[in-house]
Amino acid sequence: MSSKSPPVPWTLKYKPKSLSEVIGNEESKKKIIEWLRSWEKGVPEKKALFIYGPPGIGKTATVEALANDFNMEIIMTDASTYRTEETVRRLAGRASQLGSLFGKKKLIVFDEIDGITGTADTGGLSEIIRVIENTRIPVILIANDAWDPRFASLRNISLLVEFKRLSVTEVTKHLARICAKEGIIAEEKALKFIAERSSGDVRSAVLDLQALAQGKDRLTYDDVSWLAARDRKEEIFNVLRMIFYAKSATSAKMAVNMADVDIDMLLEWIYENIPYHIKNPPELAAAMDAISKADLYRGMLKETGDYTFLRYIIDWMTAGVAFSWSRKATGWVPFKFPERVKTASATKEEREMLEEIGRRIGKRCHLSSSRAIVEVLPYLTIILHNNPKMGKRIARWLNLTDEMIEFIMKRAG
Amino acid sequence: MGYELWTEKYRPHTLDEMIDQDEIVTRLKSFVKAKNVPHCIFAGPPGTGKTTAALCLAHDLYGENYREYIMELNASDERGINVIRETVKTFARTKPIGEVSFKLLILDEADNMTDDAQQALRRTMERYSETARFILIANYSGKIIEPIQSRCAPFRFTYLPAEAVANRIKYICEREKVEITDDGIEAIIELAGGDLRKTLNILQTAASTGKPVTADLVYAVVGKANPAEIRDMMLTALNGDFIAARNKLRELTRKYGLAGTDIIRQLHGEVFRLNIPDNWKVKLADVIGEVDYRLVRGATEEIQLSALLAKLVEAGYEMKKSLR
Repeated sequence: MSSKSPPVPWTLKYKPKSLSEVIGNEESKKKIIEWLRSWEKGVPEKKALFIYGPPGIGKTATVEALANDFNMEIIMTDASTYRTEETVRRLAGRASQLGSLFGKKKLIVFDEIDGITGTADTGGLSEIIRVIENTRIPVILIANDAWDPRFASLRNISLLVEFKRLSVTEVTKHLARICAKEGIIAEEKALKFIAERSSGDVRSAVLDLQALAQGKDRLTYDDVSWLAARDRKEEIFNVLRMIFYAKSATSAKMAVNMADVDIDMLLEWIYENIPYHIKNPPELAAAMDAISKADLYRGMLKETGDYTFLRYIIDWMTAGVAFSWSRKATGWVPFKFPERVKTASATKEEREMLEEIGRRIGKRCHLSSSRAIVEVLPYLTIILHNNPKMGKRIARWLNLTDEMIEFIMKRAG
Repeated sequence: MGYELWTEKYRPHTLDEMIDQDEIVTRLKSFVKAKNVPHCIFAGPPGTGKTTAALCLAHDLYGENYREYIMELNASDERGINVIRETVKTFARTKPIGEVSFKLLILDEADNMTDDAQQALRRTMERYSETARFILIANYSGKIIEPIQSRCAPFRFTYLPAEAVANRIKYICEREKVEITDDGIEAIIELAGGDLRKTLNILQTAASTGKPVTADLVYAVVGKANPAEIRDMMLTALNGDFIAARNKLRELTRKYGLAGTDIIRQLHGEVFRLNIPDNWKVKLADVIGEVDYRLVRGATEEIQLSALLAKLVEAGYEMKKSLR
């Protein structure tokens, strides 16, 4: 790893600056522009626009790009701030008061309104309705699901605009543009594969691309195809975040239940990422000690088949890792895909070929296939390189086929 | 030079040809003389002659056609209970023709058998002991269930002493017309440490270049995983770069096929040569021992060794702190 400046998420770096850069959802974008234009002739009938659709397809990005194009200033709240009756009123008040003093026109945006909760954000939703009723400037609401019963009144007074998942072609094109700007030569098949896996979520596709391609000159299908076995990434990234930055031991342990990945795989993810998040040496040693204990119990489970060990595996890999350090984030750190899994997930044919080679060597040398691969194959490989003629004769004596010999040579590179 | 692996070409065929392990050989010879063999467990590290001893015993017992009287199974490849129930049973059930009244079943890597399969094996051993005797071969006899252990005569194989290994190397070099220097022999012993299979593999690999086998050649050809690289990995960790040290570890294990136990052995040797305070040497030796123990319990080599590297990072950090 280089120690250059901390990486910027590509989702930020390549955020659209103008509506023309936003991909997909052409009809919806047209509808929004029309609505915003209608404000130039006075306050329209529908004073609020309600944009909804699944995550990561450009709802917020569209609004921000639009504000740029129309030279408007956005007054925005999202789920990261409390939205009680009080704060909503104050925000809206600020927006309408300052409106005439500066050159820029204003736009009120309530992002992620699914996240407004009944308890912490008391009175927030009804205050938003009041803001819309009284507003002199455009209001935009954004949510994943517009059909939540809580939004019934909001729906009635808003113009609904749906954003749909992006097509594989659209996402692929976007990824290709980013690669071009980053100077990465990418196989289209590789980009298409990432796009397909994102199920129309361009944000997760871009984050995937960054995790796989950053710092590389080339991105091939082989670099990405192993992902096939992997689960939805935002899920795993969330789980990792919940573990590394856990607020309590219980919440760290709960993260495991959220994950749709198996414990084995999650352990590999945590193991891979510890040194990127935990840098202080004593803390790093403690965290590695914790994950190595989880690994020990995993080994014992496998040896004995006794599932009571599972609880200790989970304790150590979650709470054990979390409480080995101060859990203070130092900037945005991307999660890395586990190297161990990458190497282990050679294609099925490769694994079978290797196993068959091991079996044949093992038969001659009184070894199991796996031990033959570890104890004999490395030497045969070196002999094949240093003295191909001798190596090939030994290989034939071991009953290896020409195809197998070629495979061995290639594998060592 | 021949075109087979020297581990096979020079594998002893009779008990008389066995290298070292004198006590074991004496006991096995007495079995041959009595024409009776109890169930046995051959336990010990790799490359110390366990499988060879079993095959030699069979040879001396049954003569040149010994293959007809034995079955060699590898439990890692066929570890399931069905193999025990079917293959083993079918073999064990019938009496052989000839002087010796039982067949010999050699079960290699028996410590990789599942508990269920071991339970099934225990019954089979009891029921057919008239017609079949079992030799169980394992690295760790502790992984074989108690009831089987108590039915077997234990044989503990140990690493071959350096002198015996050196003599074997010289003997083979003479036969193969390979020129080898004293430091070449030392280098091979350093890398293989009493594991004869590994010794011969390294020797043959170095010799395959056609050049005289010197220490430099051994490290350059096979060694790639030579002590200097292990030391380099440790120093990288001591200097605080854990990620780089972990990448080195990955290189050592993956590219060069170095086994975790080899790395541990070399790490252990290096720790006491490092320029660090003695209390840290002891602490690190403790962690190394713990790692070794955990690997026996089925833990993952890379993860355990990484934890050790992180401990080195901490050691380096504490040392710097105390200097300030």
